Amino acid sequence: MGECPVRNVERLCLAHFWVAFAAFLVAALLGTWQMWVRSPLGANIGTPSQYFLSVTAHGVAMAYVLTTFFIMGFGYFVAVTALARPLPGKAWAWGGFWLAITGVALALWAILTGKASVLFTFYPPLTGSAFFYIGLVLVVIGSWIWCVLMLVAMGAWKRENPGRPIPLAMFGTCANAVMWLWTTVGVAVELLFQVIPAALGLVQTIDVGLARTLFSWTLHAIVYFWLIPAYIAFYTMVPRAAGGRLYSDTMGRLTFILFLIYSLPVGMHHLLMDPEHGNGTKFIQVLLTAFVSVPTLLTIFTITASLEIAGRLRGGRGVFGWIASLPWERPMVLATGLGFIMLGFGGFGGLINMGYGMNAMVHNTSWVTAHFHLIFGGSVVIMYFAIAYEVWPRLTGREYPSLTPLRLQLWLWFIGMMVMTVPWHWLGLQGQWRRVANFNYADPIIAPWGPWVVVSLAGGVILLVSALLFVGNLLSLHRSTAMVVARPLYALAVHPPRRVPAALNGFGLWNVLVLILMLVAYGWPLAQFAVEPSPTAIVHRVE
Amino acid sequence: MAREPDPRLQASSAADSRFDVADEVDEAALAAVMRYVPLGAGVLAGTAVALLVLGYLLIYALVFIPRGTVG
Amino acid sequence: MSERQPDMQERRILGTELLWSFGVGVLIAATLSIIVLTALTMGINPPSNVERADPKTLHLSGEFAEHNLGTSVAADGSVTARIIATQFMFVPHCIAVPEGRPVTLRLAAPDVIHGILITGTNVNTMVVPGFVAQVHTQFTRSGDLLMPCHEYCGLGHSEMWATVQVLPEGDFRPDGNGRVSCAQR
Repeated sequence: MGECPVRNVERLCLAHFWVAFAAFLVAALLGTWQMWVRSPLGANIGTPSQYFLSVTAHGVAMAYVLTTFFIMGFGYFVAVTALARPLPGKAWAWGGFWLAITGVALALWAILTGKASVLFTFYPPLTGSAFFYIGLVLVVIGSWIWCVLMLVAMGAWKRENPGRPIPLAMFGTCANAVMWLWTTVGVAVELLFQVIPAALGLVQTIDVGLARTLFSWTLHAIVYFWLIPAYIAFYTMVPRAAGGRLYSDTMGRLTFILFLIYSLPVGMHHLLMDPEHGNGTKFIQVLLTAFVSVPTLLTIFTITASLEIAGRLRGGRGVFGWIASLPWERPMVLATGLGFIMLGFGGFGGLINMGYGMNAMVHNTSWVTAHFHLIFGGSVVIMYFAIAYEVWPRLTGREYPSLTPLRLQLWLWFIGMMVMTVPWHWLGLQGQWRRVANFNYADPIIAPWGPWVVVSLAGGVILLVSALLFVGNLLSLHRSTAMVVARPLYALAVHPPRRVPAALNGFGLWNVLVLILMLVAYGWPLAQFAVEPSPTAIVHRVE
Repeated sequence: MAREPDPRLQASSAADSRFDVADEVDEAALAAVMRYVPLGAGVLAGTAVALLVLGYLLIYALVFIPRGTVG
Repeated sequence: MSERQPDMQERRILGTELLWSFGVGVLIAATLSIIVLTALTMGINPPSNVERADPKTLHLSGEFAEHNLGTSVAADGSVTARIIATQFMFVPHCIAVPEGRPVTLRLAAPDVIHGILITGTNVNTMVVPGFVAQVHTQFTRSGDLLMPCHEYCGLGHSEMWATVQVLPEGDFRPDGNGRVSCAQR
């Protein structure tokens, strides 16, 4: 092939990644400020108006901008490198990018002018400026263009390579794209048919139960949308970076399929405390949530086994000797180790959140905040860093002068995240609740929380330093004089597949299963609002 | 005049023949270590999951239940 | 080297994955069974009453009219506390409940989404306009507890909280109308 595959999408990927990381840096600054303001040290700093503007901006930037743009950029990278062919429809890709940028600009303007302090979870009947929601819809539509392009690229490759297994990295990317198409339906319907009409003043009341249920459809699977790129790295990049092989390619495919099926019909575990749904549907969705833990449990075994192969090849002996002999100096390997530790603690918190009984103990407390910062901000984002460090030399043609700043950044992220979130778990159990601009530290129940809030703040400051160092490391690569050394990216499996069953090479069957599961899980919960609509609430404008 | 091939041309692939870029792993060495794998992984991951489940049950019994019923 | 060797190795690999899956499957099933068992025997469920109420007319009449709010003891001895959650306060601001007796909390919101937890207990529910939120519980220790609004409800959210006085049995005395107010301290 004449044209270099990576150069084909070099500017496209870099554009997406820089938007993602710029949003990340701004959000990190805002998050640190928020933590200071609500701690005993920031007692008279900041007004509630400023605080909730910041929380909205922080949430939108981290949960919608960092993630979507990173995933799109990474997807374009995988599509050309894993399939070794140029990206089809590149003009559409740029179109999607600019559409999404326009959406970000609109939403950002609404947030910064104080017209959209409704947090990234919206909470109708609280209603902000229509531009906020329209902006987010544009981001979603841009991401839909990405989804279609991923599937088109996969389809084109399959036609040119009949009977061959789709490269695992692309299979995972496409599973993610299919899942994203399914999951955005919920929030799209909520925004297009309920919230935006309310924001435009076309309706004066809103069915809150229906809005919350539609949002919950999206709310859980979206975190798997964020998580799957990290798992793509686990399966396809980490074994190569460690110098070994992927223990099982089949397990990789199965993992992505299980995420596609089971991340969607579980959103109601975010509504366990809600009065608009009964025990039956809540229990069904808790059961299904137990199933979505399976792909993660499979992954930790398969990737640990893959690392064991690498460690033993490097001379490690005995039950645990292979751990020390792994090449921890390589950022991708280090990030995986640190990420797995955070995955363990974060997963533990998550298991309690989804508990049919235990959710009541932790809902809307700092435990929840701790959980998603640890599991997403910790284990997933540390892999985003590792992916960025891995692909940046390939995008820029440069090499790092030294890997030490990269490792330092990853360690700071891990330490900061643990120091920030462990106290939050404890505080959540004490009853500290969420989204508070300032606590009354004179109250005898609240006073003992103060020192732990300060410890948490220290963790946040460490994270901020790490975030700055991350961006600095990437910038330094652009200016580096060392030229990149050719190095293969994707791992081989112990037993590279020659053929795989059609079920593990496409999504037709799984789409049917998703439909069935969604009908079982969300059929009645949504239908009940048509059969017996909730008494509507009056729209509350926050502008 | 021939140009240096772009080193990034090497950076690609995953799946079979044209797409797999051979790695440095020696097949004989791989076969040798595969006699032990996944013992270490089983112990490490198994211990982690067991601790997870134990922690879950402990919080359930020692923190959640004593706080009273909810229904 | 025969073709069979990689196939046998692949089968062995998949075999270990199956063994692992079986092991975690057993752990998941056991944990779920414990949850189901306690749900059935101890009545531990997420609050799931599904009772509709028009937020726009809550204050006008019926159960959540202002004179009916707070804790009252019915003729059969059951204790019910009725609370309105609104931007940015709870009505009443202080709720008296007995220690060691079944209590039912019923909450409604006329405006936006709120939510409550009671510190040190498992009492937790969202208060969604359009529905009555109902939680059954039993307070295991006497003392003053905090009941904050735990869901973002607007700029005044940080200031929205109530006090729950868990009164020992002797101090929990209903008046002539069956109502119990907080002790003046």
